[in-house]
Amino acid sequence: MHAKYVDIAGRAYDLTPLSSEERKLLSRLKRLANRVESAEYRNRSLQEIATFYEGRGLSRREIVKKPLHKIAQDFGARKQVERGEARAPDYRDQLEELIRTRFPTRRAFCEATGLSEDMLSHVLSRRKHLSVDRLSEALGRIGYSLRISPLSKAS
Amino acid sequence: MRKKDVRVECWFLIPVRRDDQLSDGELHSTDAWIWLDNEQFARFEGGTLAPGIYAGFYRDPDTGKRVDDSSRKFIVALPQHRVRELRVLLQDACSVFQQKCIYLSVGGKVEFVALR
Repeated sequence: MHAKYVDIAGRAYDLTPLSSEERKLLSRLKRLANRVESAEYRNRSLQEIATFYEGRGLSRREIVKKPLHKIAQDFGARKQVERGEARAPDYRDQLEELIRTRFPTRRAFCEATGLSEDMLSHVLSRRKHLSVDRLSEALGRIGYSLRISPLSKAS
Repeated sequence: MRKKDVRVECWFLIPVRRDDQLSDGELHSTDAWIWLDNEQFARFEGGTLAPGIYAGFYRDPDTGKRVDDSSRKFIVALPQHRVRELRVLLQDACSVFQQKCIYLSVGGKVEFVALR
């Protein structure tokens, strides 16, 4: 396993802090993802991860933030894409997540970024795209930037 | 069994595609499914994703047209007083999955949870 894992959306996770037990669990889950269908992988991986971390005193909210959990979910996500059950996320999915997690409403996001609500609605509904310049400017107003990241195969 | 130990079986259907009136009718992103898994996992003690796809149809109240869809089925057993939390989660899910409403069965009684 490499020292860095890049998920399907280009998010990188440093593997060096993982314990040997975590690495073993991750390898096991990767094999499982290749062997079983999506629902079974989802159910069994959550069960194994819960058992592993709850046994070490972590809460569920803490567990979902762990890199191991995120990487394990990425194993499943890649299989979903391969099997045509879901699509890889793009910048519009990231925008949606940003709005949902950092702003009380879409309107608040629009006021902060200078984007019109009408334009945002079209973009999130996949009817229109934002230009790179317009998106960069809007994100810059709220302390974010565009980034080019490498695509990676599950490593 | 003590009354407080009794749980209600709840299940809900998430269509595999975004609503084509609200959105583009495309498959959901993997991030959307991950969001739902994390919310269920963190909020509730257990839960199961049923294997396979559930095909069905309904009449869209806005257009009057028949709509065929395919969904994934999630099952969770909850104490009665926590069913409201599931409804709140599904209201958010309407937004994340771009659905007008989500089919929810609570102890055999069906309701449709709509966008807030």
